[in-house]
Amino acid sequence: MSNSNKKWFSLNLNSSTKQTSASCGCGNTAGDCHSKEEPELSEQEFLAAAVDASIGEETHKDGFEQVFDVKMDRRSAFKKLTASLLIGAGAVSTSCSTLAGDDSKEKAQIDWEEQFKGNYKLMSDDEKKATVNRLVRSYQLRTGKTISMSSQNAHKDVLYGYAFNISKCQGYMDCVTACVEENNQDRNSQMQYIRIHEMKDGKGFNFNEADDNYYHEVPAEGHFYMGTQCFHCDNPPCIEVCPVQATWREDDGLVVVDYDWCVGCRYCMAACPYDGRRFNWSKPEVPENEVNKNQHYLGNRMRKKGVVEKCTFCVQRSRAGKNPACVEACPTGARIFGNLLDPNSTIRWVLENKKVFRLKEDLGTEPKFWYFMD
Amino acid sequence: MSKHRSLYIVASYCFFMMILNSSCKHKEGEYHNVTDKIEMESKNYHGVDLSSELFLEDIEMIEITEGEHTFLIPERKGKIKGYACTECHSKPLPKMKGNEFKKAHWDLKIVHANKETMNCITCHNSQNMDELTSITGKSINLNNSYKLCSQCHTKQFEDWKGGAHGKRIGGWAPPRASMTCVNCHNPHQPAFDKKWPARFNTQKIKERK
Repeated sequence: MSNSNKKWFSLNLNSSTKQTSASCGCGNTAGDCHSKEEPELSEQEFLAAAVDASIGEETHKDGFEQVFDVKMDRRSAFKKLTASLLIGAGAVSTSCSTLAGDDSKEKAQIDWEEQFKGNYKLMSDDEKKATVNRLVRSYQLRTGKTISMSSQNAHKDVLYGYAFNISKCQGYMDCVTACVEENNQDRNSQMQYIRIHEMKDGKGFNFNEADDNYYHEVPAEGHFYMGTQCFHCDNPPCIEVCPVQATWREDDGLVVVDYDWCVGCRYCMAACPYDGRRFNWSKPEVPENEVNKNQHYLGNRMRKKGVVEKCTFCVQRSRAGKNPACVEACPTGARIFGNLLDPNSTIRWVLENKKVFRLKEDLGTEPKFWYFMD
Repeated sequence: MSKHRSLYIVASYCFFMMILNSSCKHKEGEYHNVTDKIEMESKNYHGVDLSSELFLEDIEMIEITEGEHTFLIPERKGKIKGYACTECHSKPLPKMKGNEFKKAHWDLKIVHANKETMNCITCHNSQNMDELTSITGKSINLNNSYKLCSQCHTKQFEDWKGGAHGKRIGGWAPPRASMTCVNCHNPHQPAFDKKWPARFNTQKIKERK
């Protein structure tokens, strides 16, 4: 049933060998991957396996022992719980049905593999590639459209940083539009990662009195504009509170979310002092012709209902050497992005030569997002 | 005997410190703040395997060096429709004034400083219309028009050289390419216009009711 060198439980749903080898996390195409040689299951064997997957060793114990004698961590608990659900609902009917087509079998196989994959943070590069391939194939099977998805890791000697010039921002909100289009945010709830706060001159940074949803000609007389988004803190409180470690800081400083591992508890949103995170209250929807097909697993791939998301400094762009969409869209040059470890980078010049500050610096969150003025 | 003993103590102390040092090797969260981290980790920075060159392929660029900064700016002359100016301005400007010639640039409005401070020939070389001129009458190449602007806008010039003013072209990785003054500012009316924001969030209004 399950492969001994895999980190998660897998099941061969009798689909064609090509997909089986592609979906196997071992990444070995040469052919010493176990799942290839596995014999096909009869219906009886399958059900036995399903029972085994859902309750496993507990079959020989009485009720008390089953409850109190089981060494169960969170992952195996989830694994077993969802295993029984999924087997009961979808997978069995598909794999046992002679009427089901190859496509639906492949879909079921992909869904199975996706359901029981591990945390992205813990995956090897091959496993990352495998899950990305599955997601691309799944999207293809469901919509008939091909997307490209990257699992590019952090580059060496890179730590991303951002600077925002308060004197330059005019409140045009071109950055917000570019961000929504780039990152496939839900159009129905009009989710936006960036907020531009219109603040009155002479009142300081008063977020309570600031307006982040103005609609009049800008820049308005007697006001200045200040953008906020995820600051990619170096000591982020949001990742500390996550009960399932679905959010973490990558080596290049990006704070990212594994949307497939997030359970939607929203602790991170409560912990973030900057209102940097957003929650999908409903199923995020983007019109098919507006979907940005250049995606990254940790970035702008399609999310589902009930997960948290946020700015990733456009990981799909920044790890390809491009500037985030907001930086590229800003017509005033108020947004500066770069590598903090490169002593010759423009972001370093700003930090060393301008009077920079960060929001709520006293909290010790160490945001990598600096503000400055001309 | 005591000599041996003190030697032994010193040796064990050294050993201890070595262990202590090696156990304090830099791992996650060992820096006091991100500024320390940047300072420490950029000490052995060897460059990245990313480059912006690919994004700059389609744009004609020229390399400039100002002070300690060397970077690329877009070439300008090829972008001006009416260049070379001498195709019409065949004679020096004073000789072209008068009624026998067609009026040119009549629709150009100058909203840049006040009229006492600037007029056309503050920037345009009246003897050679293909070039610009500095305040002291030195010729300035149209491709290097930032040299003209920097005569008055010294603070902006400093910020631009460093990268705090002006937008980057291409990606964040080296080589650095930045827009030059006239790529964003119309030199005849350099201020940015007021305009309506790109979007309005109607959902936010509903949620906050």
